Amino acid sequence: MATDTYVMGIFNTEDQAVTAVGALKTSSWPLRRIHSPIPSHKLADAAGIKKSMAGWYTLCGGIIGFFSGFALAIFTALRWELIVSGKPVVALIPFVIVGFEFTVLFAIFGNLIGFLHQSKLPRQANLEHYDPRCSGEHFGVLAACAEDQREDLSELFRQNGGDVRVFGKNA
Amino acid sequence: MEKRSPYRLPFAALIVVGSAAFVYGVLKPDPARAWQAYLINFLLWSAIAQGGLLFSAIMTTTRAKWSGPLSGLSEAFAGFFPVSIVLFLILFLGASHVFPWLHSHDLHGKEVWLNLPFLFTRDLVGLLILYGFGFVYLYYSLLLKVEPADFGGPFRFVFNRLHGHRQQDQERIKKRKGLFSILYMLAFAFVLSLIGYDLVMSMDPHWISTLFGAYTFVKAIYVGLGGLIILAAVMHLNPNNGFHLEDAHFHDVGKLFFAFCLVWADFFYVQLVVIWYGNIPEETVYIIERTMMVPWRYLAWAIFAVCFVIPFFVLLNKKVKTMPKFMIVFCSCIITGMWFEHFLLLAPAMGHSMHHNLPLGINDVLISLGFLGLMLLALNSFLRQFPELARTEKREVS
Repeated sequence: MATDTYVMGIFNTEDQAVTAVGALKTSSWPLRRIHSPIPSHKLADAAGIKKSMAGWYTLCGGIIGFFSGFALAIFTALRWELIVSGKPVVALIPFVIVGFEFTVLFAIFGNLIGFLHQSKLPRQANLEHYDPRCSGEHFGVLAACAEDQREDLSELFRQNGGDVRVFGKNA
Repeated sequence: MEKRSPYRLPFAALIVVGSAAFVYGVLKPDPARAWQAYLINFLLWSAIAQGGLLFSAIMTTTRAKWSGPLSGLSEAFAGFFPVSIVLFLILFLGASHVFPWLHSHDLHGKEVWLNLPFLFTRDLVGLLILYGFGFVYLYYSLLLKVEPADFGGPFRFVFNRLHGHRQQDQERIKKRKGLFSILYMLAFAFVLSLIGYDLVMSMDPHWISTLFGAYTFVKAIYVGLGGLIILAAVMHLNPNNGFHLEDAHFHDVGKLFFAFCLVWADFFYVQLVVIWYGNIPEETVYIIERTMMVPWRYLAWAIFAVCFVIPFFVLLNKKVKTMPKFMIVFCSCIITGMWFEHFLLLAPAMGHSMHHNLPLGINDVLISLGFLGLMLLALNSFLRQFPELARTEKREVS
């Protein structure tokens, strides 16, 4: 089936968008994209989106940071091997503080990198098939269909209380 | 009157076994060991009860709604408060075994603080204030969700009597409830600090750590949350009581538990690092004895692993927090770890480290089981008197 026409349903409420996504899932039309003004578990569940991998980036960042912090503290202490008040030069107990701070810092870096990578940001080109209302308070659900089915797909969105915008070759 | 709980008998059996073990221990040539086990268990189980009710107080103060039925369930821990007071009174029968400083002749001016009448009075008053605020808070909390009924034991009887004379002004009750939740939280911090200084830190009268009080109450929140998760999971798994929790509830309370695992480790560490930097012999000896000397050092590292390192990595995972059976086992391990943590703090100071083996025996296990029985019986009896606390349908959250 050729899917060269894109139809977007634009909804006022989360529940409308959720039922529209649910209806799309049972139809044969592929769901292309969802825009939401809020982070919505309901929408993610309805669309069957898997849990983001960003958490693993955070964990890796944290682990790398933990060891980097200790490594930095040990390295700098060894560059100036001066015994202060009878303490060992490489003193692991106070280095925990450096290790901890680096854990937090690198975990945040990991999280940021994970977020950018997982959401494919930054993006040079503007999104295709986009309605500016999705940058406001509306929910946008984009699906694809064949040229001759655009009315059927539009009807599905309208039934769920949405406004429809068609992006097609001739639209 | 409803029929008696089927669990009553096994719980009572645990208590009988524990009491018998304790009496045997006291009559044996080494009563100090039995009293030590008694003190450890008194501190641990009281902390679970105090920390359990604290959860509800925190939810009230922060006006949190995410906790749902967990908040009501945590109030059942107040059923242990009267038991805790009685246990505290009994503790002083063994004062000469419990407080090593009674036999010390060089307290260097600390006699003003460390003398039996003053210590007993201030701790008893402290506990009474804490439990008093707890019960008043509980009373207002129950007023919002419980109607008088003609069944139940002593708690319900008192509640019914008080309830009869009240005007039902919801807003006023909510305000009072909010006020007493804050008072309970303040009393929690002050009284548990006092208990920590008096019943744990003073065992080694020459050692001080300013943060020990805060460490004690943070530990109580940690074990209290652990106890709450176990209770909630057990109630959730039993199909007959109508108590049900969503995965999200387990996940959220698991996150809080995880957070307090970190806070506990943090309070341990900030004490350690200050002592390490200061390097004063009378402070470091306490740590050196427990983390570097046989037989304590292995225990110390095991506790650190069981109560912090393993929970840290396991609780990072979202899935395990929503598995009630797993959490029952896991939280039980952490609470057992905390039992040993109390043991590690108290036993070396109480002079039982003469040998190269840990001073542990079957008697310690049996006495602990007795206390477990007391806690279970208290919870069971309280929840039977106030079945509304373990109800899951939607009700007004205040």
